[in-house]
Amino acid sequence: MVNLADASGNADMKEKIKEPLKSLMNVVDSSALLKGFEFLNEKIEGFPFAEILKVVVEVLDESKKEKETRIRELGDILAELATPIIRIWQDILLVPLIGTLDSHRAQNMAEKLLEKTASTRAKIVIVDVTGVPMIDTIVGGFLIEMFNAIKLLGSDVILTGIKPEIAHTLVKLGVDFNMVIIKRDLESALKYAIGIAPEKSDRKHGRKRGDGDEE
Amino acid sequence: MIEVNPQDYDIVLKIKDESDIAVSRQMAKNFAQKMNFSLADVTKIATAVSELARNIYRYAKEGYIYIRKKEAGPEKATTIEILACDRGPGIENVELAVSGGYTTSERSLGLGLAGIRRLMDSFHIESEVGKGTAVIVEKRRRAF
Amino acid sequence: MKSKVVPTIKLYDYLLVPIQIELDDNTVERLQMQILHEIHENDVRGIIIDVSMVDVIDSYISFVLSETAGMAKAMGCHTVLCGIQPQVALTLAQMGIRLKDIITARSLEDAIDILDELD
Repeated sequence: MVNLADASGNADMKEKIKEPLKSLMNVVDSSALLKGFEFLNEKIEGFPFAEILKVVVEVLDESKKEKETRIRELGDILAELATPIIRIWQDILLVPLIGTLDSHRAQNMAEKLLEKTASTRAKIVIVDVTGVPMIDTIVGGFLIEMFNAIKLLGSDVILTGIKPEIAHTLVKLGVDFNMVIIKRDLESALKYAIGIAPEKSDRKHGRKRGDGDEE
Repeated sequence: MIEVNPQDYDIVLKIKDESDIAVSRQMAKNFAQKMNFSLADVTKIATAVSELARNIYRYAKEGYIYIRKKEAGPEKATTIEILACDRGPGIENVELAVSGGYTTSERSLGLGLAGIRRLMDSFHIESEVGKGTAVIVEKRRRAF
Repeated sequence: MKSKVVPTIKLYDYLLVPIQIELDDNTVERLQMQILHEIHENDVRGIIIDVSMVDVIDSYISFVLSETAGMAKAMGCHTVLCGIQPQVALTLAQMGIRLKDIITARSLEDAIDILDELD
């Protein structure tokens, strides 16, 4: 029998029953479990049905939270994997964007890309959006901010891989990428980038200055 | 206007001199760093506080900035809250002040506020002409 | 001229301004006057402002920097900014701040290259 005097013992029992219940729920599906409890409730007089159900709800709640955290973590990992930053040439970084961008992912990506651009002192950052299904005003805004930030570091941005439907929405929405160089495909972006990226920039000032300025 | 109990906050900064702008910026930066914000977010927070402090100094002559750490939303995300308030002249057209465009060529109030709004996750302003202005902004900490 | 806010270096025809102090409103305004005087006195064709030690650039500081560049331009002088920290760049971009009349460079070397090409 459960009564008020048992309250503290009850809490103890609750904790005790939680773990086995958790493992039980891992192997038995919820309808079978419920049937089992109903059966016990019929057979055993004073079976603490309500209390047990409370514990079940708690356990379900916890596992739901765990799953949500896991999904979030996986989402983060996926976002991480989907945004590699590759140094493909002297002074050139390539960023192939894949999948949809939300504000969380866009900010993480922008921070990483800016860090990398500054630390490698890349002259050119090629952003390829072939793998991005759609760009709305919000994503467009993120990209514009990121491009402007890269320009502030003194690097140039080449944008490539804009599909017809994206071009259509961009113009309709009035998103203007006028701060970047746009190339038809990755191949022409690469050709262009390699063309303007300097060969290992040997310091030429001494020479240039020496014969230039004395006159 | 907003009722403030200074005891509810981790940091209380009085803005009275021009040098208080740099001090508040530094304090906000240290506090955000201790809260484990990313370096970019620390910079955004420090910049926002700098703008808020300057608005106080320039338009109200004096006022306070309150900063605290809290948990917000259903996910209990670690959040920094910054409240800037003064008993200055107030803003006549709040909407116009907040919706500043993408320019820097004017020494206007607009850019400061519009910029702050873009940097933070939430932005709330109350202003009454002749009574003063209060701005509350928040930024949540992102995962990694 | 009054005391210098930032010690500068004359390099070729360029004036190198490495900012290694906290920029408050007063300092940045005094720096503006200092730079303009030095352009005038030293026959400078280009200014390189290095901000790699600056942690926060807000709207007013960037405004004064842009304004200084505009004034320098009026005196026939280009302004290049180098060493912006990535998180500062992100913050400026997110606020929607444009650095009018300022060219940004990846490094000091890059800044000199850019100025050389402009001549």
